[in-house]
Amino acid sequence: MSLLDIQNLHVRIGDADILRGLTLAVAAGEVHAIMGPNGSGKSTLANVIAGHEDYEIVSGSLRYDGKDLAPLAPEERAREGIFLGFQYPVEIPGVNNAYLLKAAVNARRKHQGLPEIDAFEFLKLARARMAELGIDPKFLNRGVNEGFSGGEKKRNEILQLAMLEPRLAILDETDSGLDIDALRAVAAGVNGLRSPDRAIVLVTHYQRLLDYVEPDYVHVLSEGRIVRSGDKSLALELEEKGYEWAREAATA
Amino acid sequence: MNPVLPLDTLTRVVRRLPGGGLSAARQAALASFAERGFPSLSDEDWKYTDLTPAIDVSREWLAAGGPAETPDPAGILAVRATLDAHWLVIANGELQEAQSNALTLPGIRARRGHVGETRFEAPLSDLNAALSHDVLELTIGREYRDEKPIVLLVADAATGAPIASQVRIAVRLEDSAVASFVEYHVSSGNERHYSNTFIETDVAPDACCRWVRVQERAPVHTQTARLDVRLDHGARLEHFGIDLGGALTRNDLRVDVVGRHAQVTLDGVYLAGPGQHVDNHTRTEHRVGPARSRQEYRGVLSGRCRAVWNGKAIIHPGADGTDLEQANHNLLLSGDAEIDAKPELEIYADDVKAAHGATVGQLDERALFYLQSRGIGPARAKRILTRAFAATVLDKLPLPCLRELVGDKVEARLRGMAGGATA
Repeated sequence: MSLLDIQNLHVRIGDADILRGLTLAVAAGEVHAIMGPNGSGKSTLANVIAGHEDYEIVSGSLRYDGKDLAPLAPEERAREGIFLGFQYPVEIPGVNNAYLLKAAVNARRKHQGLPEIDAFEFLKLARARMAELGIDPKFLNRGVNEGFSGGEKKRNEILQLAMLEPRLAILDETDSGLDIDALRAVAAGVNGLRSPDRAIVLVTHYQRLLDYVEPDYVHVLSEGRIVRSGDKSLALELEEKGYEWAREAATA
Repeated sequence: MNPVLPLDTLTRVVRRLPGGGLSAARQAALASFAERGFPSLSDEDWKYTDLTPAIDVSREWLAAGGPAETPDPAGILAVRATLDAHWLVIANGELQEAQSNALTLPGIRARRGHVGETRFEAPLSDLNAALSHDVLELTIGREYRDEKPIVLLVADAATGAPIASQVRIAVRLEDSAVASFVEYHVSSGNERHYSNTFIETDVAPDACCRWVRVQERAPVHTQTARLDVRLDHGARLEHFGIDLGGALTRNDLRVDVVGRHAQVTLDGVYLAGPGQHVDNHTRTEHRVGPARSRQEYRGVLSGRCRAVWNGKAIIHPGADGTDLEQANHNLLLSGDAEIDAKPELEIYADDVKAAHGATVGQLDERALFYLQSRGIGPARAKRILTRAFAATVLDKLPLPCLRELVGDKVEARLRGMAGGATA
């Protein structure tokens, strides 16, 4: 059974129809890449799975682990094991990074019926994860994303991902704006989290990230639909021929 | 004509006060107050703050014969247990010497003087001068080297009938003296109360004065409090005001920079929930330069309430080299909250740096979604963001020993304002 199962999904924001009949199935253990030009609906897909209230499901179904996601609030989805890595992580001055991480970890643990993690255990775990991701431990005591560079923000997203151990991770343009060192660090972080129990969906504009994180499946999104699916060679073909080719091939 | 109090009753009450009763100074204050009355909405400085509750309480208190109630020592002792400090306890306007260990600290000279001439030029000062028991005069010598703050605990209790009380204090920090004060306003009892405080502080050359005002009044309380600070050459003032309670609160903070190289910090946080009115007026006069002046007030408003922030700064001719920044930021958590924010900058010198700004906003929806997407429920997410909004200025609290206490009080108040939701 697929962990994420999307059937003929239509999504609207305001008066604009963004997703127009999207179908996608992702099983645990798989890594999927969703590629597409700007405005094709990639970020909408990521946000609607996470539960952003601005996005209205008009028709179709969105199921996770066999359950309908539509009635669940964003925090409930997160506690159930869905993680969205933001394209633009929000700066929250005055909220300590460690505080947010610990609150997030404990919200999920509580939901799973596990005891809350104590401060000592949390710090030990956070420091270990930060070492793996090459993040300065000082980041723990800074405001969430406050004054972080683009690369630091994305690493911080991957740190949250690593701490929360979700079953479904959706990474929205995690590679955008990264220099090569940051891209390598982020990719290494993602690769380290590949597991038979976990599904990862990479939403990306460019093929570049896929040189470092090798997907099992590649899908091309155009005008709110998946127009082509294939293995990693599709990403290379796309890079060579451009999105126009994928769109034309689909409508031909 | 501005509202007045019945002069004959007022005079009768003043006659019974200690320290010579109707002295010449009190008589002059009475005459001046009788002529001017309470400030009203038609006074530019008071156009957002209606003192009717203070006037009503004062009238009823006078009609009942004036000072009567004995303060509640248990409540005061409970407050004292929360902070490791030296204490000056003023209950219902009367200094409680037995509970005031700060009167006898080495390096401090304390004296209870008669009400005399002051620099305050205000009708409420006249009322205060007429009705104050005495003036507490504190002189801090340069040999005073205590880390603990001196808490001026202004505690008021009203249980049987409405009470009005007056507090008058004059503080002087001598050359190079360093001292920390907490002006702490609390109240007990569920009857209406009006308290009117006037404090003047002189900071001599190279002295450093840290001053934190905490207002944690009962929900039926009206307060007017004024603090005037004069800064001499190289003197420093680090002021922080925190408003948590009270029904109607008006704080006036006036700083007079009369010596070169003075440094001024005026920060504050005000939290207003349903039915509350909080008005902070500051006025900084830079008469000479160079000097450095920084101000940031932040307000959180929730429910039907009103806050006023008026930050006036005047850079006089010749105050060249003044470097001034002032800011006021407000977070409105509901549509029926009202804020009147007014920065006022008057510059009459040429070589100055001055910047000011005021903002009014709501919680950032993107940040809310970000927290929710990390498993945090909306009520808690809102509280976290609200606390964070206040934290950026609370982090500047000049007395580290107060951080935990103030942090807890702010947290508890925000929880109360959000209706106690815990999701």
